[in-house]
Amino acid sequence: MDINRYKYLIVGGGVAGTTAAETIQQRDSAGTIAVVSDEPYGLYSRVMLSKPNFFLGKIPFDEVWLKGNEWYQKNNIAFLGGKKATAIDAKNKIVSLADGSQISYEKLLLATGVCARHLEVPGADKKGIYYLRTLEDGKAIMAAIKSAKAAAIVGGGFIGFEMAELLKMAGLDTTIIIRESYFWEPALDEDSGRMIEKALKDAGVKIIYKAEVAEIIGKDSVEAVVLKDGSRIECDMIICGIGAGCDLDSLKDSGFNVNRGILTNEYLETNLSDVWAAGDAAEFKDLILDETIQLGNWVNAHEQGRIAGLNMVDKKTPFKFVSFYTTSGFGLSIAFVGDVRLGPDRIVVKRGSPEINSYARIIVLDKGNRKEVEGATLINRTSEMSAIAKLIESNIDVSQKLNELGDPNFDLKML
Amino acid sequence: MPNTKEYPRKKEGSKIAKIVIDRDLCIGAASCIAVTGATFELDNENKVIVIDPNAVDDETLVMAAESCPTKAIILFDKNNKQIYPK
Repeated sequence: MDINRYKYLIVGGGVAGTTAAETIQQRDSAGTIAVVSDEPYGLYSRVMLSKPNFFLGKIPFDEVWLKGNEWYQKNNIAFLGGKKATAIDAKNKIVSLADGSQISYEKLLLATGVCARHLEVPGADKKGIYYLRTLEDGKAIMAAIKSAKAAAIVGGGFIGFEMAELLKMAGLDTTIIIRESYFWEPALDEDSGRMIEKALKDAGVKIIYKAEVAEIIGKDSVEAVVLKDGSRIECDMIICGIGAGCDLDSLKDSGFNVNRGILTNEYLETNLSDVWAAGDAAEFKDLILDETIQLGNWVNAHEQGRIAGLNMVDKKTPFKFVSFYTTSGFGLSIAFVGDVRLGPDRIVVKRGSPEINSYARIIVLDKGNRKEVEGATLINRTSEMSAIAKLIESNIDVSQKLNELGDPNFDLKML
Repeated sequence: MPNTKEYPRKKEGSKIAKIVIDRDLCIGAASCIAVTGATFELDNENKVIVIDPNAVDDETLVMAAESCPTKAIILFDKNNKQIYPK
């Protein structure tokens, strides 16, 4: 079998992979580049898939495409769509594809994203159960909404929140089933969680707490969900947002160091030479937190694609970036910035309150002789996100500034 | 009626004369802010606003527009012709 050769090979056609390809092309226009994707089309807006305006047709469907065929052709980037990479021989620098073909490379980027975790209960293979990862998933949900009457959402995170708004806008009876005792526990505190729940309930969404799905009932299609406590929720559609993660055994077998993601240093280099990883798939050394973490948001993937691309053309650049994610719905805007995890050495400074419908929590790391802002959760205070991101990045000592941090009328840009 | 906000740009030597944000398309992904925090910021409705339309050069502004996952940043030249998205 003929082997195709490319100087730069990128496995993954999402925003990380595509931005890497673009960055490489700008600096090494002579080097051949190929992007392999298991989806048949070029870069599209995966984040748009869960936005109500898009789903309900207020935004034309074709707005989802971010790079068309002409872009790949104009930039001399070979797009190999509908092909899944099955094995990597990093010693001989050959990637094998599911169709039996092989590609040899000089430099390789793995930007394969993450996989939606699936329910593993009896009945989980029935029709009418949806996950949201790809355009095809999105189209399936868009079609199902047209005839469904009652939906159950499993999972109390971003997908659950955004899908709930969408389903209510489409007029479906909607119930969210969460394992936690309040929405978005423990990423948010109970006050923040209850603010979100109030907005959901005011819109008519039912929430069932501390519940887990035991079984899905129905002939071929979903008719009801049975929970572990025996209660039954009638529904003809289920959307699951219960986490993300891929089976990385085959990469491990190929010699890669993996954990929940593909492990990299701060240059997004994996342990195997001339192989990088970027985007949701990468579990990378974060210089700002001084920890190895894995993130799943658009802006991180875009930035990591760019930095990986620079490193692949020998412009050695560490990835140093304060990440953030925002969502809005039910009249609320919610943002997560930096590292929002709590711990024994972390103090939470509150800004505003649920009562004034504007509430932020700033997570401060207490290092003894100094205190630094690590992260924040913001509800209806998204205008402060940029200022907080700067505080996190600058690592300034806020020991003497805790009052200002906690004063909702103090402009954080002044710090 | 599209929900847009326009920001005239008067940067010396620039081909871009106007930045428009489509607030219906904007989802607060904030990748534009990551490219240039001097130009863009979020308001309290989680939508992007332009704080300084003249802060950066054309190349950086185009990069910011291209990073947007919903193409909510629209750029126009002096003759009101749309430069991006093409």
